[in-house]
Amino acid sequence: MEKREIIAIALFLLATVGTIFGVFAVEKIRRNKLYDFELIARAPEHGNWLPREFTVSYGTEVTILIRNIDTVTHGFAIPQLNVAAREIKAGEAKTVTFAPTQRGTFDFMCTVWCSDRHLEMRGKITVE
Amino acid sequence: MKRISLLTIFCVFCAAFVYGEDRYFEVHAKRFDYTPSIIKVNKGDNVRIRLISEDVVHGLYIDGYEIETSAIPGMDGHLTFIADKSGKFMFRCSVTCGEFHPYMVGYLKVGFNWNLYAGAFLILLLGIGSLTAALKANENSHKKLFGVIPLTWRYELTKFKPVRALLKNRWFPFTFLLFNLFVFVIILIANFVGGYSTGNYNFGVMMVWILWWFLLMTFFVPLVGRFWCMICPFPIFGDWLQRGKLISVGRQKSWGLNKRWPNKWRNLWPLVILFFLSTWFSGFFTVRPLAGGILLVLIIGGAIVISVIYGKRTFCLFVCPVSGFQGLYSNFSACEVRVKNPEICKDHKPKTCVVGDEKGYGCPWMELPYDMNRNTYCGMCMECFKTCPYDNMALNVRPFGTDLVTERKHTDDRYKRRGLDEAFKALTMIGIFLVFFRAYQTPSAHFKDMIRGTTLKGFLTYLAEATVVDFLVIPIIFLLFVFLSKKASGNKEVSLKQVFVNFSYCFVPLGLAIWAAFSVNIILANGSYLLHVFSDPFAWGWNLFGTAKIPWSPFLTGVMPYLQALIILIGLAFALDYGFKFSHQTYANLKEAKKGWAPMLVFLLAVTIFCLWLFIG
Repeated sequence: MEKREIIAIALFLLATVGTIFGVFAVEKIRRNKLYDFELIARAPEHGNWLPREFTVSYGTEVTILIRNIDTVTHGFAIPQLNVAAREIKAGEAKTVTFAPTQRGTFDFMCTVWCSDRHLEMRGKITVE
Repeated sequence: MKRISLLTIFCVFCAAFVYGEDRYFEVHAKRFDYTPSIIKVNKGDNVRIRLISEDVVHGLYIDGYEIETSAIPGMDGHLTFIADKSGKFMFRCSVTCGEFHPYMVGYLKVGFNWNLYAGAFLILLLGIGSLTAALKANENSHKKLFGVIPLTWRYELTKFKPVRALLKNRWFPFTFLLFNLFVFVIILIANFVGGYSTGNYNFGVMMVWILWWFLLMTFFVPLVGRFWCMICPFPIFGDWLQRGKLISVGRQKSWGLNKRWPNKWRNLWPLVILFFLSTWFSGFFTVRPLAGGILLVLIIGGAIVISVIYGKRTFCLFVCPVSGFQGLYSNFSACEVRVKNPEICKDHKPKTCVVGDEKGYGCPWMELPYDMNRNTYCGMCMECFKTCPYDNMALNVRPFGTDLVTERKHTDDRYKRRGLDEAFKALTMIGIFLVFFRAYQTPSAHFKDMIRGTTLKGFLTYLAEATVVDFLVIPIIFLLFVFLSKKASGNKEVSLKQVFVNFSYCFVPLGLAIWAAFSVNIILANGSYLLHVFSDPFAWGWNLFGTAKIPWSPFLTGVMPYLQALIILIGLAFALDYGFKFSHQTYANLKEAKKGWAPMLVFLLAVTIFCLWLFIG
């Protein structure tokens, strides 16, 4: 095969398969380094928080990436643990970092009026 | 006594004019709608607006005044300002509130709209100018654009050696295509990862429906013609399958089934229909990443399937929905690929630009480059520069729109060029504009609900309305003026259909201008979202270029009405100048042409004033 054809095919693969793998690999490494886990914010009619319930360890610092993949602004708060990300716009991602200081199960919730069912947009966090 | 009372009235009037009244409005915002959506005040009024949100967080930003407030349900927003600028201003939601958020708008109308009347006056002035020029016209005036620039004027870019070398290189435009492929891979990932999120924070939606559309209508098509087709990455898979080679020259005959597209459909009709059908779903794919992704996958998949069944670029020519208006409008563009000296081609056998040689492929767009005289079906792929052994192909800069008056050639019959297909493409583009304008730039909550399909009944009503307007109402109104034109001319020989087709090309420059004016509004208001999506294309919290945190900031919204009016006026100037040339082409002699031009002139002025009123009135 011609040299130029090989270069072209290599570039083609780089632009397609290379980009896809590259993007997801970079994201995976980045997440492992920066966050402990991901929380997706959606209004109740679009699927609500994902996950709705999660567990963290007492006293250990935890970093949560909150991604708003919805069409409206959301917020995030765990009032009893004094943790909040006041405003997360649609399409935005924010992180919260905290070390839980109490044991037990607490509510986390959306803090921005995001839909008629805004009050249902809540979940539970367990500190062990 | 009388004098004093008059003086008093005058003083009161002046005082009212200078100090203005206090005006207070309570504006209720709910998803994609303000009530009231049109606020009218006098110039100089002291305006207070209380913004009350009924569902989610909304904002209110006023174009031109560049002020903003926002309201949370239960916590109202307030705006106080002196309405010291007159005209129509859009106000729009400034806090992302749902998929139609960028198009949640209202109008603020302040005082007497001087801009509209000044614009309308200029339009009429252009009309009078055109009429005078038409009355003075002689047998030679159709050879010059605006009576100044000869239509035959050309500036050959390929006379420069580096340009020629570039076009003959197989890496051009392949390199651009590869880069574009990379961009579209990112777009597709963003579309699918973005899923059910809002379009204005999605790389895929922003790149395609804000940036690409704007570039297409304001730069690519008017300046270079089918420039997009040259660098479009979608046919690369099909080309590879057909040729067996990605960049080098492989077999000329396709490895696929290589069937011939039916003669009956070798024109713009399939594209007229397919583009119209795809606009049915604009309320989904221009605002929702997932829907946009599905559309792109359908187009890419379609391109692959068609390339396996049919020969060469059948997909680009007769199936790609956005190919039609690019083809038609590129007849107006300032660039062309043409033969330098037809005499050289006469004795050249076999014609390598058609059958191909070891340097390149025979015209993938199934044109006859040696005999090409219009841009509609030239994809600017630059293969003919590679295959011509005599360097006889030229890339020319030319006066805008010269293809619009090109005489028919025998090759035209192959594609039935200058026919009803192109006429209907030009006319449906106006109808589609009206739908888009109503949905995306007017405060029509009801219509927005219809096109985003909140109820099936509403959606079906919208489809029926759009079909009737595009294929019946507009063509019938146009036909009426065509009929008047024929009557006025007194010519009995020429067929009504011919008059209809010939004059429909007025809607090439005018249609392009209207779409450009529409796109200017969208890019100036929402272009700043691009800065965000460039830095964070997948909404994963990236910040590649440090621009992810830049908030939504509309740009130059005060200048927008002037810019839109200017674009429309330029479009009209070309439409009028070419319009009379079409009249000259259509009717037997100059006298008939002058008489037949009058009804068309009136029609074009009316359409333009109507569009100006839509934008700024």
